[in-house]
Amino acid sequence: MRTSVIVTALGPDRHGLLAAVATTVAGQNANVDDVSQTVSNGMFTMIMFVSFDETETTMAGLQAALEITGEETGLQIHVQHEDIFKFMHRI
Amino acid sequence: MVFITAEEILETVRMIQAENLDVRAVTMGISLGDCAGRDADIVGRRVYEKVSRLACDLVPVAQSIQRKYGIPIVNRRISVTPIAHVLGSDDPTDFVRVAHALDAAAQAVGVDFVGGFSALVQKGFTRTDDALIRAIPEAICETRAVCSSVNVASTRAGINMDAVTRMADVLLDVSRRTADRDSIGCAKIVTFCNVPEDNPFMAGALHGSGEPEVSINVAISGPGVVRNVVANNPGVSFTELADLIKRTAFKITRVGELVGREASRLLGAQMGIIDLSLAPTPAVGDSIAEILECMGLQRAGAPGSTAALALLNDAVKKGGTMATSSTGGLSGAFIPVSEDAALAAAAREGVLSIEKLEAMTAVCSLGLDMIVVPGDISRAALAGTIADVMAIGMVNSKTTGARLIPAAGKQVGDWVELGGLFGAGPVMPVSAARSDEFVARGGRIPAPLQSLRN
Repeated sequence: MRTSVIVTALGPDRHGLLAAVATTVAGQNANVDDVSQTVSNGMFTMIMFVSFDETETTMAGLQAALEITGEETGLQIHVQHEDIFKFMHRI
Repeated sequence: MVFITAEEILETVRMIQAENLDVRAVTMGISLGDCAGRDADIVGRRVYEKVSRLACDLVPVAQSIQRKYGIPIVNRRISVTPIAHVLGSDDPTDFVRVAHALDAAAQAVGVDFVGGFSALVQKGFTRTDDALIRAIPEAICETRAVCSSVNVASTRAGINMDAVTRMADVLLDVSRRTADRDSIGCAKIVTFCNVPEDNPFMAGALHGSGEPEVSINVAISGPGVVRNVVANNPGVSFTELADLIKRTAFKITRVGELVGREASRLLGAQMGIIDLSLAPTPAVGDSIAEILECMGLQRAGAPGSTAALALLNDAVKKGGTMATSSTGGLSGAFIPVSEDAALAAAAREGVLSIEKLEAMTAVCSLGLDMIVVPGDISRAALAGTIADVMAIGMVNSKTTGARLIPAAGKQVGDWVELGGLFGAGPVMPVSAARSDEFVARGGRIPAPLQSLRN
């Protein structure tokens, strides 16, 4: 079954942040479906729509890998199932 | 795929990360009807077996939902059929044995509290009700997780003043027994009017007789989110403010709805209710009083506080009702003094009195909640204070509760640290005028005219 999650990353900007997150996602056999990022006043904000097949990776595995990336890059990275955003903002 | 904007995604992340949005409790309600009997040892064994079997996955399921959606689920709890309906004994020591079985089951499944050491006595006492109430002090003081509640009044039945007085005795007894811990045992005892049968919040949760075999009830929270919305919109009119709070309450409640649906599906339980309450914690910013202050009051307790709370309470309910079809429980803004740092500060400064809190409870949930009073308070003063809270609930056809803590050895102005989510607060003064003769009359205050609704 295909699972769709939303990865958000926030923190001080520097080179290679988007690449670091995308590399970790790819390493977990997950696909980047869409991504947007901005830098404002030196703060990096990224929203990445990611999907994966539950036979190939797990939510917990993706979260653990991105947690390490967060520690290495100084980003606060959150991985949340897309349903929480759908439920909160749409009926 | 549903289109979600970047602003909406970042708003959700901010609410959780910066504004303390969480699900306050996922509470599993369990019917103990099939555990009933007269022998306390047999009933205790059945209770332990059933609770530990049905709730064994509650904690891991809550943890998995927390991880999946990135939303903290602060407490996992259990409510059960009022124990006075489960054990047919007139010996209080039998009830204490069942309390121990409940406590052991709570420990086995890893929940922090189990509610339902309860009786409903608004019209009078059965022999088992009487024994359960006599057992409360020992049951509360000898167990870790067991919470007790007694419904002493309702709009339909009036106020059982004998029960009110007995609850005052219970509180004074528990106060003495837990004197070495600032009488913390009293924080696990609620006296109710119109007790709800599906309340997920402790200490007053119980699984009522109209409930299914197993249900999942969810308590939402989010004062910090509402506070920031109010703070970020200074000067807007009350109509606009109410609209902003409604929108926010909708979003908060939808999170509860999502968690409730998923938890009930995974646990094989019926989806119960979402409790549309704003429940503060001692954390800075996670406060009902701070919302009132952001509305333009210097301190909670200032003139206008009751009106501000009425607006807040109503807007939360309106927004929340749009977000779920399963509302229930207490559903209203809470004003527990020790659990809300800004409320406690206002009380310490003397701008928030018990009398003002009593007025405020007429327009919100839950009553005089987590209020520390002097340890040498008289039985009559305590009973009179409880009766006043019950009268507000009875006449207004709403739930009210009293969770008063007579702190042994403490005087007005002393500061009491209750610890954890119970917070800390000042010992608040109760009127020195005596009510002994009033309380001594006993009997039942008749139900008001509004009880005749058919």
